[in-house]
Amino acid sequence: MSDPTLQTPAARPTTREALLRRRRSWFFGLSGEQAAKLLFQGNATISIIVLALITFTIFSDAVGFIPQNRENLETYRRAGLELVDMLRGQVQSHSALSRYLSSARQEELARLTGPGGIALPEANARLEAFDAYADRYANSIGDHETILGEMTDMVSSLKERHAVAADLRAARQNLIDGMRTAPAERAATLKAEADAMEIETIDFAAEIKPLLAMRPAVAEANVRLVQSLKELSGAVPAAEAPALRRKLERFKDLNVRYIAEISDTEKRIMAWDQTKPVGILESLSAFAFGRKWVTASFWQDWYGIIPLFAGSLLIALLALVIAIPLGVAAAIYVNQVATAGEQKFIKPTIEFIAAIPSVVLGFFGIAVLGQTLRQVSQSPWLDWVPGFPMLERLNSATAACLLALMAVPTIFSLAEDAINNVPRSFKEASLALGATRLQTIIRIVIPAALSGIMAAILLGFGRVIGETMVVLLCAGNRIEIPDFSAGFGAVFQPVHTMTGIIAQEMGEVVRHSIHYRALFMVGVVLFLISMLINWLAQKIVRRYRISIG
Amino acid sequence: MSASDAKIYAKSSPAKRVEQGVFWLLRLSTYFVLACAVFIFLDIGLKGGAVIFQTKAPFINVPFLTQAPETLNVFELDGKKTTMGDREFRAFKELPGNAERLKGVRIETFVYSSGGIFPNIVGTILLVVGSIVIALVLGIISAIYLSEYASDGPFIRFLRLSIVNLAGVPSIVYGLFGFGMFVIALNMGVSLLAGWLTLAFMVLPIIITASEEALKAVPKGYREGSLALGATKLQTILTNVLPYALPGILTSSVLSIARVAGETAPIMFTAAFVVRDELPWQVQKATDFFFQGVMALPYHIYVVASKIPQNEYTHGVQYGTAFVFLFTVAAIAMTSIVLRVRLRKKYKW
Repeated sequence: MSDPTLQTPAARPTTREALLRRRRSWFFGLSGEQAAKLLFQGNATISIIVLALITFTIFSDAVGFIPQNRENLETYRRAGLELVDMLRGQVQSHSALSRYLSSARQEELARLTGPGGIALPEANARLEAFDAYADRYANSIGDHETILGEMTDMVSSLKERHAVAADLRAARQNLIDGMRTAPAERAATLKAEADAMEIETIDFAAEIKPLLAMRPAVAEANVRLVQSLKELSGAVPAAEAPALRRKLERFKDLNVRYIAEISDTEKRIMAWDQTKPVGILESLSAFAFGRKWVTASFWQDWYGIIPLFAGSLLIALLALVIAIPLGVAAAIYVNQVATAGEQKFIKPTIEFIAAIPSVVLGFFGIAVLGQTLRQVSQSPWLDWVPGFPMLERLNSATAACLLALMAVPTIFSLAEDAINNVPRSFKEASLALGATRLQTIIRIVIPAALSGIMAAILLGFGRVIGETMVVLLCAGNRIEIPDFSAGFGAVFQPVHTMTGIIAQEMGEVVRHSIHYRALFMVGVVLFLISMLINWLAQKIVRRYRISIG
Repeated sequence: MSASDAKIYAKSSPAKRVEQGVFWLLRLSTYFVLACAVFIFLDIGLKGGAVIFQTKAPFINVPFLTQAPETLNVFELDGKKTTMGDREFRAFKELPGNAERLKGVRIETFVYSSGGIFPNIVGTILLVVGSIVIALVLGIISAIYLSEYASDGPFIRFLRLSIVNLAGVPSIVYGLFGFGMFVIALNMGVSLLAGWLTLAFMVLPIIITASEEALKAVPKGYREGSLALGATKLQTILTNVLPYALPGILTSSVLSIARVAGETAPIMFTAAFVVRDELPWQVQKATDFFFQGVMALPYHIYVVASKIPQNEYTHGVQYGTAFVFLFTVAAIAMTSIVLRVRLRKKYKW
């Protein structure tokens, strides 16, 4: 035992214990094993922190929107813009009616000068009585327009002054902040500069008095307006053409409704209270239910998500209408009908479609699809389709076609999985009872896989509503709620979407401005929608999972 | 359909005719989808291929792949339509006599339509490589922790749920996060680093879930056998779990490379510049490398598709860029699919 040759390197300790002893203090007093575990743990922690950070950043930037929007709305009210907008609404409804009249005239003119009709001067002469009436109607709002113009000037200058004062205050705050870190001498100049700033404090209540003083004038003008409208209502010119007569009848109805509206508006104008505070809830609902998204306007900025939400939803639903039949049909075909060779070829190919970058699809939409769809829509034998011919090359339908192509692989592969998971015995039992293959598919396979198919559709929806580049390039980017009065034709109107607006406006907003935060709010809505969809999909799959047994 | 099926099905009946009709409908919808995809590939492949490939040697449009984008000048001189890149045009104007000849000539300009897309290719490669390295290191190690070390509890379950949910969050939201977090809060500016982190975090949930799945798929017996022989946990993971899970992890990572390369929305305001004259390695300090914006193919496609008109002069850059980009991403995706098929055959238990 004491022979020293036994201690040569050949006799390295080889047992596990010896190994562990040798490596005990491998790294900061930790064994390799412990260090590895720590590394894994630390890394997982980083991942967790990152994931938490994502959620936190988006939400924290978005939350600031609510007080800022509240301030925005409060200025709107206190500077009297709200009051002016009430009157503006009234004037705008009036001009909408005037437009209605002129569109009726245009139709009548087209009818008169149409094939087998009369010459243009003669037709114009025939419409003279109508024109005189339309002019009288349009002129009846003249007083209001004058008052509105005065009011607008008054409040917009007030708001302008308020904005200037706010900017100056921010500048002074910057100087004061700079003073803290600057050396004494520099701080003194900064202080002098800050003190020298003249910042106007605006007393809204006093400034608004002339505006309020105009309210009786509005009431007076309203009396005259109602009187002349009532007269005009009785003096609608006679029309020989039944179409025009119908239009004029409808005009009379609209006019009566408008007269009733006037007194409502007047009541609201009289009851308007400048000092009524704007609540947090009001600020939030102005975002969630706001029907206008107007930024960088000289009058008033609105951050309402409805037009964007409606655009996103319209495009997503249309895309699903196209993608669901195709995706589910392909899944059923591949799993139940196709030969093994076809399966091997179709499955990877459809999955391959998912790899097409969306920006390339968007480019394809601009370069080829939009133009093609528009040309197709102009062919005369498709005139019966509502909304045809398309007015714009880029619209919801163009974007939806491309998004459908993106949703098909998602729906296909998940639905195919679900169908594949239906136990063989179900199918075999059905076939053994003498059902045909089609009956088996419709009555057994699809119902058994329905939960999976539903989840596939939901996830496809999630993919479509979160898509950015295609909608940014192909949806037309017009911020307006689609006009659903056009029926199905609404899908051929250009829209803007939630994802599109973020991509388009994020690059040029001032950081931490209300606009910046509004975009984060839109991001939060998208985040929540995708969460909801994921959660629903998981729930459906879990709730309706078929038990194999 | 097997031969016996065919015999049973030989007789025609109304029910069978309906069945055949429905099957044809399904077949048609399937092939319609394939046809749409093929059409897009053909359209971009043919028109873009005409830009990239040439009939004369060296058969590839080398300037397009090696030059930076330039403004294209189009003008009519001596009754001939001439097109020139900006640099060439300036040199041309300097030549004696040319200034007079150009007087009164109407010059149309199209931005980005001349030159090539070399800086965009470089930028895309940089973005993809950097972000994938970050995402893979973070993702795989996290997946190992979650699958091998973490004990199942309410917190881990909640974590898994949020990872699955984050995998479904739209990419533009990640862009928003990257902008708010890196570009503004951490003051990195529009930079390579901000783009790397944004893209990495975008694919992180996908990599974690896919890698965890691959690790979970390795049979328990492999681990138990190794542990029973006296190996430590780390040795077990390194020798008996990871090698078998690697194919799955590899597939998911190749797929995420395709995803990272294909995304535009997250880099639009975190990393991509519309135009930048210097190449990424032309920086003064080494640290500047990380804090510079780069040009990238997907963003370039967005810019040339939306900001310049569609006509014969801009056609080249539009289709050429789309071609290079589409077929690069398609090649990566193809690799992933082939890899999966081959590895599935190889590793079965």
